[in-house]
Amino acid sequence: MREPMNVAVLLSAGHHPVSGRACPVPVEMQAIGLGNALGAEMTGLHAGPASETIADALGHGLARLVHLKIGEADDPLASLIAALGTEKSALVLAGRVGQGGEDSGLLPYALARALGLPVVPDASALREGPEPSTLLVEQALPRGARRRLMVRLPALVTVHPAAPAPLPFAYAARRRGVVEERAGIASPRGERAIEERAYRPRPKLIAKSAAGASAAERLKAATEAASGGGRVLVDPPPEEAAREILAHLRDIGVLRG
Amino acid sequence: MTEAAFSLSLAILALAAIAAVMAGGRARLWRAGRPAKVDWMRGLMALPKRYLVDVHHVVGRDPYAARMHALAAGGLLGGSALALLALLPPLGGSRLFWALVALAFAVALAGGFMVGRRRYPERPARLSGGKFQRLPFLLAAYAGGAFLVALDAALAGSVWPLAWPGLWLAAAGGLGLAMQLDRGPMRHAFAGALHLVAHPRAARFEGRRETALAPLNLEAPRLGVATPADFAWNRLAGFDACIQCGRCEVACPAFAAGQPLNPKRLIQDLATSMVPGATNVAYAGSPYPHAREVAGIGGPDLPIVGAGAMIHPDTLWSCTTCRACVEECPMMIEHVDAIVALRRFQTLELGALPEKAAAPLAELRYADEPQGRPLAARTDFAAGLDLPLISARAGAEVLLWLGEGAYDLRYGRTLRALVRLLHLAGVDFAVLGEEERDCGDIARRLGDEATFQRLARANIATLARHSFRRILTPDPHALHVLRNEYPALGGIYEVVHHSAFLDELVAEGRLGVAPLKASVTYHDPCYLGRYNGEIDAPRRLLDRLGLARLEMERSGRRSMCCGGGGGAPLSDIEGERRIPDIRMDQAAQTGAGIVAVACPQCTAMLEGVTGTRPEVRDIAELVLEAVEAMPARAREPAT
Repeated sequence: MREPMNVAVLLSAGHHPVSGRACPVPVEMQAIGLGNALGAEMTGLHAGPASETIADALGHGLARLVHLKIGEADDPLASLIAALGTEKSALVLAGRVGQGGEDSGLLPYALARALGLPVVPDASALREGPEPSTLLVEQALPRGARRRLMVRLPALVTVHPAAPAPLPFAYAARRRGVVEERAGIASPRGERAIEERAYRPRPKLIAKSAAGASAAERLKAATEAASGGGRVLVDPPPEEAAREILAHLRDIGVLRG
Repeated sequence: MTEAAFSLSLAILALAAIAAVMAGGRARLWRAGRPAKVDWMRGLMALPKRYLVDVHHVVGRDPYAARMHALAAGGLLGGSALALLALLPPLGGSRLFWALVALAFAVALAGGFMVGRRRYPERPARLSGGKFQRLPFLLAAYAGGAFLVALDAALAGSVWPLAWPGLWLAAAGGLGLAMQLDRGPMRHAFAGALHLVAHPRAARFEGRRETALAPLNLEAPRLGVATPADFAWNRLAGFDACIQCGRCEVACPAFAAGQPLNPKRLIQDLATSMVPGATNVAYAGSPYPHAREVAGIGGPDLPIVGAGAMIHPDTLWSCTTCRACVEECPMMIEHVDAIVALRRFQTLELGALPEKAAAPLAELRYADEPQGRPLAARTDFAAGLDLPLISARAGAEVLLWLGEGAYDLRYGRTLRALVRLLHLAGVDFAVLGEEERDCGDIARRLGDEATFQRLARANIATLARHSFRRILTPDPHALHVLRNEYPALGGIYEVVHHSAFLDELVAEGRLGVAPLKASVTYHDPCYLGRYNGEIDAPRRLLDRLGLARLEMERSGRRSMCCGGGGGAPLSDIEGERRIPDIRMDQAAQTGAGIVAVACPQCTAMLEGVTGTRPEVRDIAELVLEAVEAMPARAREPAT
């Protein structure tokens, strides 16, 4: 029997997409569910101003929540880096993107860079790895495809909405749960030149088939182009893999010569 | 007095003592339950009326059972009491008195015979077997034996060769009845009497509507019911009152649809689980259909619900809260209260809801609407109609509460008809628009009392900001919650259902109607009929429209649920058939071309039935059709 893993779940202050009210981010509640399924000892981490609904995560199967208090204009990154430095978590779970905030999905990457952790995005299932300090991650890829990876811990894993549904909310569990309030690190966001623009739908890139091709060929070209192309190599020798990658990069014009 | 007769009186005295000990032992189990406020004096005073009127009103729906019970219970209690009185010398010495005793026991014997004839040669499926199959023999032995002894005493000992075997027979039968008083069929007698006295909803005997769920104190250390000890003691007594007559199982829509719920078995499981070291093996009635595997063990402080306990969670979530079982129960047991109490623990403490029911509750928490739709879209159905907003004016005579049905395309037709009728009749009305939140009915029935109370308080605060005289709603679920459940949280309103309101308008001549030529059968919504007793107004209204009205086999207060209540469509527990299919079959059997409905849930459920079937029309749609059938000039209300 291995010791329960120490897992930190990053929680953000979300907003309901319809009502606009403060609400937990579903994918983060799914992250709690994945951590619970691992039998891990979990700590929720939130850096931000006071919020009523952050504690709602306690109703979804989280026993402990650390709230790092910072101001409205502060960047949570510094506080999270400091807190994760002391928490010594083997695994950090985050949602792939927040809901109702900036929703850039960048924070996990910035955090992983600062902590020197590998990032595995879009997990839909987690299992203990075959060796100690490893984790098997099932990654959700487009069109329902799944990829299984083994990562060495510590690592940061972001969770995809394709993960199992979160545990239903239990009012009494929220009432019982503990929120530890700590002072975060004030770190005013720098003046970032973020330009806001109205959303513009982009045209979908469809491969063109030769003029005069049959309808079936045009359909094939239109549907196959989006499926990625390329080849799947299973356990190739490193040299062959490198050659393939270079060839592909030359094919698509990233590398020249 | 003959020696045998004197011995009989002594034997009955001893039996009474044994019975008292057995009953006392059982009653001690109830002390595990939580305390309950009981008005003992009032309950005791009212017992004869509650028993002879309220109970027998229900029992009398099965005339054979009523006669059987009157003879068996009356004869048994009367004979035994008289035989005890015979210990007083002047009475015991009277041959005439013993003739009276013999007569009482003869009556009991006839009752015992009727009990037997009902169970042999073939036992109806709804009745339990096991100890219940031995009951007629014990009754016959006790009553028959005592009859022989009393007859001998009345004839001054002239048939003494019959008296002594009679005495032994009576003693054996009586002992059989008394010894199993704690677990056998006779438990219903003392537990039932006490339940009538200490009933948790005493007001239902005084003709009041007693269907609102009681608010839960959200500060309590444990929310809802996990173990038998979490029930109030008088609820435990109520479970023990069950006589396993199976009327509830016949009425239960989930049972009929093959979902794993049988109200009788549920009550038996609850009654069994209050015994230390309980198992469910002694139960001999029909099982839960497609019963999910459970361990079948329990105890006063052990969990009731779970695969390792007595009751499988699927059983709880199959209930539509239609109250048909409560309506049919001659022992006045409150099944739905028990189910909701158990659900509250599952939802609030464990978060153990059916997966599909969790999402709507989450949307209710953060968007005040079970499907997460914008509140402002509630009035979209009325595009092109004049739908006044109450916030845009000083107030209105009538506040129209739209309910969740407003988002449904099919039900939008009904609401459009209703709005048009209100305009035609010149009613001063308005809607809340985006200020209207969900009323909280679904949250409450699914056990999420916290969300219900939050929504209720928010709605009460909203309603307090506006001035209106009464609330009109076409949704019986909203009606029940607003009318009966908000008062406990401080919101007291006059709420009227659209069937009653349209009936008023037509009666007052504010809506002129031309007779429609069609045959119609009316499907009573549970929350209007059983929960609120409104079964006449919709029928009166249909009659005013000149429709040929046919009644279904089950109608009025004994109507069958459409399957849409209690969050059952959300929890969606698998069965053999769908409840609305069963109900639609009953409607089709009347031969009517139209099923008239008066509830958005019923509309959705019955419209979902496939195949050839009667057309589903809301009462408002029928009224509008009748109004439009009037020549245009005559349609104008008299001014």
